Amino acid sequence: MTDLDYKKLGFKCGLEIHQQLETHKLFCNCPSIVHDSNPNIKIERKLRAVAGETGKVDAAAAYEIKKDLKNIYEACSSSSCLIELDEEPPKEVNKNALDIVLQVALLLNAKPVDEIRVMRKTVVDGSNVSGFQRTMLVATDGYIETSKGKVIVDSVCLEEESAKKVEKKDGHVKFRLDRLGVPLIEIATDASIKDPEHCKEVALILGMILRSTNRVKRGIGTIRQDVNISIKGHPRVEIKGFQDLKSIPKIILYETKRELSEIKSKKKTASHVRKADPDFTTSFLRPMPGAARMYPETDVPPIPLEKEFLLKIKLPELLTEKVMKLEKRYNLSSQIAQELVHNEDFEKYVKTFKISPELIAKSLIEIPKEISKRFNLTTEKINRSSYEEVFKAIENKTINESAILEILTDVAKGNKINLKKFKKVSTSGIESEIKAMVKSNKKLSPNALMGMIMSKYRGKVNGKKVMEIIKANL
Amino acid sequence: MFKLKKNITINTKIKIITKDARTFEGLVLPDTTNQKVVLKLSSGYNIGILSKNIKETKTLKKQITKKTKLPKLKTNKNLPTISILHTGGTIASKVDYETGAVLSQFSPEDIVSMFPEIKSLANIDSKLVRNMWSSNMNFNHFNLLAKAVEKEVKKGVKGIIVTLGTDALTYASAALSFILEGIEIPVIFTASQRSSDRGSSDAFLNLYCAVKFAKEANFAGVAICMHGSSEDDYCNVLPACKTKKLHSSRRNTFQPINTTPIAKVTTENIEFFPETHHKKRNNSKLKLKLLNPKLKLGILRFHPHFQSSMLEPVKKFDGLIIEGTGLGNGPVECVDEFTKENEKTIKTITSLTKEIPVTMTTQCVFGRVNMNVYSYGRKILDSGVWGNHTDMLPETAFIKLAWLLSNYNKKDIKELYHENLRGEISERTLYND
Repeated sequence: MTDLDYKKLGFKCGLEIHQQLETHKLFCNCPSIVHDSNPNIKIERKLRAVAGETGKVDAAAAYEIKKDLKNIYEACSSSSCLIELDEEPPKEVNKNALDIVLQVALLLNAKPVDEIRVMRKTVVDGSNVSGFQRTMLVATDGYIETSKGKVIVDSVCLEEESAKKVEKKDGHVKFRLDRLGVPLIEIATDASIKDPEHCKEVALILGMILRSTNRVKRGIGTIRQDVNISIKGHPRVEIKGFQDLKSIPKIILYETKRELSEIKSKKKTASHVRKADPDFTTSFLRPMPGAARMYPETDVPPIPLEKEFLLKIKLPELLTEKVMKLEKRYNLSSQIAQELVHNEDFEKYVKTFKISPELIAKSLIEIPKEISKRFNLTTEKINRSSYEEVFKAIENKTINESAILEILTDVAKGNKINLKKFKKVSTSGIESEIKAMVKSNKKLSPNALMGMIMSKYRGKVNGKKVMEIIKANL
Repeated sequence: MFKLKKNITINTKIKIITKDARTFEGLVLPDTTNQKVVLKLSSGYNIGILSKNIKETKTLKKQITKKTKLPKLKTNKNLPTISILHTGGTIASKVDYETGAVLSQFSPEDIVSMFPEIKSLANIDSKLVRNMWSSNMNFNHFNLLAKAVEKEVKKGVKGIIVTLGTDALTYASAALSFILEGIEIPVIFTASQRSSDRGSSDAFLNLYCAVKFAKEANFAGVAICMHGSSEDDYCNVLPACKTKKLHSSRRNTFQPINTTPIAKVTTENIEFFPETHHKKRNNSKLKLKLLNPKLKLGILRFHPHFQSSMLEPVKKFDGLIIEGTGLGNGPVECVDEFTKENEKTIKTITSLTKEIPVTMTTQCVFGRVNMNVYSYGRKILDSGVWGNHTDMLPETAFIKLAWLLSNYNKKDIKELYHENLRGEISERTLYND
């Protein structure tokens, strides 16, 4: 990645992150279900370019272009109401969503505005039934610390998600409304990102901060990154659609190289939007949209952000801090700590059961992984009560540590926990049996002998001790 | 202390440095007060900045408001003229995207620039009668409108469109229906539920269909043209006296009550409903029969736990419309120790009917009044309340009674009230799904 001198190239890069929030929709009480199936509502609308939008003279032309294009909207009553259908004015801003955005803003060292004014951003592609997206500027002038210095966070906004386009055919575009109105936080940095790796780092930090709230949606499509880059002699290009953060540096590198070759061949290009492709190259998506026209959403009153209200906002501990704390306090590897940070139960179990935190961590993180890997099983059947039962048995010393994998595998298979099956057998109790076995199988290796014993006593005896006895009797 | 008035002028570009060392540049918007500056930032976002948090300001540039002069419309000799009379409401308002202020646009040039597609239908003439929300209107405004209609009729236009806020639209349409006696051309009310600044506005189809109907239909009289469904596929032309706003926000809020629409209009087609008996274009002479603005009338709703004292102020009124329960019933019988108040109610009504017309409608929305069915209904009928066997909407009954009181002798009013004059009473209640 270091084969280009980005400073010399006049490399400028800014990142914009859109993340769905884990709360109901922004202006109505519909749940934020995305991927709702079997739509029971279907309506057709025509969205037209409003006169004046493209200048009064060509308004008629704009109308001519748009007039035959129908938008078909499909929706489920479970996730859409009259507000999504543009048949009812919006309610007040979802307080929960605003609270999450303010939390994030403060974590980004940004300063909230004195008064939020909800805006309508004109959108003509049909993805907003109303013809505009509601959006508001919540905070400005933030920053994050990175390995290469401070990166400024210009703005933190709260806005509504658009409807998802599902089909485009002659004369119509079809959208699904389940996603429309889901609250989104938009974080935009300035253009001070220094190089491709740095961009990935910024994305990682912003993602970590968002997840620290524990109130953002997880999974594919719930977070989107847009990267704006430019180098000396080439206009700004925006790249959308990164599949994962790991691909960011490579895609930016390839894009920079592409721009360099364009400059070299003296090809003239205008500022435009590109799409990140799976092979790390980018392809033309559309011209850069002009400055979005925004005007006030008159149906929603302005929201003053009073000091008293801001003081009440509780800041969550950052995930990075939490990980470090877990590592130190319980003497865990940083890898396990990073995974445990998302587990709500770990510390509760440590407090409840007198067993080692490492064992609890192993049981929560590594054992389920091993089960799915070794036996090709899903582990969702392993729940809190399975863990509680197992840890209690370990605490009471009725089973061996090695039984945990066996028991949880049983659970994953859909069986009930049968502790009796794994009742601890003291090694001294089977010492004579081991001796006899060693005697009658003299040709076998210790490992083979071990296998024979364990096939009978797996999970019930302490394997280490069995091995000691075998070796002592060889 | 920072002096706002001296340093900040609305509609100027300024730079604000706040006490927490942030810099904002933008346009000062009209919402600005001494307590807070409302700024449109270059990003397009508006924000409010409290004056007490401002450290210093610098004026950058005075905004020059460009008034784009629209080219004068050319008359197309092959097209008829349709007049549009505006009274305000959302349909003909436009957002100034710089400041967010709502501007009213009412010249023919403005209307055509907002709705360019209607230019292909007709030559548009356009007048602003008043600029107000329909709920603020009274009889004076209905008279003004009627006079404006008369003026246009005299010019010989092919049809007239009236735009109005939706809230009190059916009162206005009923009023004009009565006032414009012998109207020989279509007078079509239209409006919008979504403002025309948004691409999804219903205004475009509503106005287009209204103009198309006013131009092409062989129809004379007053009607309403609005979205027939939630989609942008067709409009209904609805009878002026038998239509109600049934939904507070949906596009197809206006629905015909106890009847069908007059016609279904698409951008391509006009289709009349078979059951309607509308008047055709004719050569009769329009005569204005205006409302008397001095009249005092009211609408009162019967409900459980009704207090007879509600009726006391009505004694000074000129007429009363009651929205009865069910078939035209109400709390007028004393049946046990808790219902003595009802006796007072029927007594007050009996004395009221001796002085002023009191008429019955139903709060059910749909259906006809029949006070013969229950004993308490008969009691109301016997007390001298009018309206038995009518199926008028309370809104229409209110306008009709006021109009009768304004234009006829007291002795004739009762008979006229029960007679169908403008399609406000159906002779037969038809089965409609």
